[in-house]
Amino acid sequence: MSTREKIDDLFERSKKIETGGGQKAVEKQHQKGKLTARERIGRLLDPDSFTEIDKFVTHRCVNFDMAGKEAPGEGVITGYGTIEGRLVYVFAQDFTVLGGSLGEMHAQKICKVLDMAMQMGAPCIGLNDSGGARIQEAVDALSGYGKIFYRNTLASGVIPQISVILGPSAGGAVYSPAITDYVFMVKNISQMFITGPQVIKAVTGEEVTSEKLGGAMTHNRVSGVAHFAAEDEEDCFGQIRKLMSFLPSNNLEEAPYLETGDSPERMDEALNEIIPDNPNAGYEMVEVIRKVVDNGEFFQTMSLYAANIMTGYARLNGRVIGIIANNPKFMAGCLDINASDKAARHIRFCDAFNIPIVNFVDVPGYLPGTTQEFGGIIRHGAKLLYAYSEATVPKITIVTRKAYGGSYLAMCSRDLGADQVFAWPTAEIAVMGADGAANIIFRKEIEGADDPVAKRAEMIEEYKERFATPYVAAERGFVDIVIEPQETRPRLANALEMLATKRETRPAKKHGNIPL
Amino acid sequence: MKKFQITVNGKSYEVEVEEIGGGSAPAARPAAAPAPAQAAPAPAAPKAAAPAPAGASVVTAPMPGKILSIKAKVGQQVNDGDMLLTLEAMKMENEIFAESAGTVKEIRVSEGSTVDSDEVLVVIG
Repeated sequence: MSTREKIDDLFERSKKIETGGGQKAVEKQHQKGKLTARERIGRLLDPDSFTEIDKFVTHRCVNFDMAGKEAPGEGVITGYGTIEGRLVYVFAQDFTVLGGSLGEMHAQKICKVLDMAMQMGAPCIGLNDSGGARIQEAVDALSGYGKIFYRNTLASGVIPQISVILGPSAGGAVYSPAITDYVFMVKNISQMFITGPQVIKAVTGEEVTSEKLGGAMTHNRVSGVAHFAAEDEEDCFGQIRKLMSFLPSNNLEEAPYLETGDSPERMDEALNEIIPDNPNAGYEMVEVIRKVVDNGEFFQTMSLYAANIMTGYARLNGRVIGIIANNPKFMAGCLDINASDKAARHIRFCDAFNIPIVNFVDVPGYLPGTTQEFGGIIRHGAKLLYAYSEATVPKITIVTRKAYGGSYLAMCSRDLGADQVFAWPTAEIAVMGADGAANIIFRKEIEGADDPVAKRAEMIEEYKERFATPYVAAERGFVDIVIEPQETRPRLANALEMLATKRETRPAKKHGNIPL
Repeated sequence: MKKFQITVNGKSYEVEVEEIGGGSAPAARPAAAPAPAQAAPAPAAPKAAAPAPAGASVVTAPMPGKILSIKAKVGQQVNDGDMLLTLEAMKMENEIFAESAGTVKEIRVSEGSTVDSDEVLVVIG
């Protein structure tokens, strides 16, 4: 073979691998409304930025029908490229090759990009579209999953890891995404479950469709396994790129600064009007956030799950902030199991990646009831306390209205380490609601009165005036300052600037024991 | 004859109540006794069997509370996101919205009734 022929041979081999499972399989993929692995990488990354590695890797299985069976690219495309010019590592499972099934060498390719991503300190994005373990490879396939879980765990808190579910994902395949930081799903394309509908029917007799069991909306609304739901793949890649714009590349970097053109001094008078006079009426906390952050841009994570608490990212004076906010419009904005879980996870991500946390508080309390108690609200609720206390990034709390009892403490109070606590004049920071408190404190006065009902009303009013305000907390220094609502943005910008050099050290330990 | 002092909206009224027919009217008892016994399982049964007729979607209570007001009417057309009723819970007035478009088939609660979390409030078909 001449040199020229050898070069041509290279092209030939390369081209063959690039066609994946062949024209027919590609057509089938397209018919399902799905893109191929290469098309996906092309849409996700900056144009022409992708560099492939391990292109010629192939399996070495000879069991059953596998001897001599070709698997171009070993069913997964791996490499690196850029998003908005920043380095990211990518792997994309190719469903057209042996159903994207995961074998020993397939897993080895994924492990290699994960190792590289960790060494270079760049995020890793996994595009999952796989039928599951390659059964012919037996325990070698299982071992492959294990090696990926192990690396996902080592990389956790070092680099952001994002999992995109773009097809079926069953059994062992769901656990790698579950260990990573963010899971994206696409409606009608993505499914995740431990056991599929057929197994469920065989074992328990229960009948369920795969979309209902493990579709995008199920995991975004009900289970909380996924963090983002997209209409289609295009929408999904857009959302991933957006998320990436808020995240640093690794735990030693700061999140990317961006000139937003929104003055930190800007005030919005509408904030002075936003709290209704009726303390029992809801209002749109998301509007409060939009009026405060740069250009009104608030990017929510898990927006469909536990809507009583909102989590997400925004910029303030160009700097990325992580936001946690109670939503009085949904379930009174109370804290329950799911809300605690959702918020605690967001806090820990922000802390791991040096993103300051800003909390907007209007919380009536932890949700009472047997459902919550039996479900373990005590240990789940404790996650919130733990996560806030553990976080050493700048923490700023703004109490817009209610902050009662344990939930006041849980929402990043001064005692859990808030660096700055602001309160609006509408704030009610107290140990419990006026009605209940008056009944207990003034029990004797009320019982002894000629007109107990009138006395009770009077005492409730007295309690409200004295305690359902921000001033008792401010007198003790639990609130740094009571501010006019419209001042919130300049105050926040100023505090973030002041806190930019914050250093806080903790006792050396292997790791804490968060109440899981 | 018993005297009671009743206060309505802060105003006190003195009321006299007379019990008629003596303390142990035999006719009243058997009538009264089975009533609560039947009534008790009744609310539980629909709850367990609740989840809607096939093809319909249900709006459930996100948390335990009391129904303050009902805006929706049976037979009314609603869109996804329309406000159906207000649930008072944790001293907050929570607006409950339709999660799908359709016709209001059934309203299973009335103003003032208390509900558990996940209890079916409205059936939309």
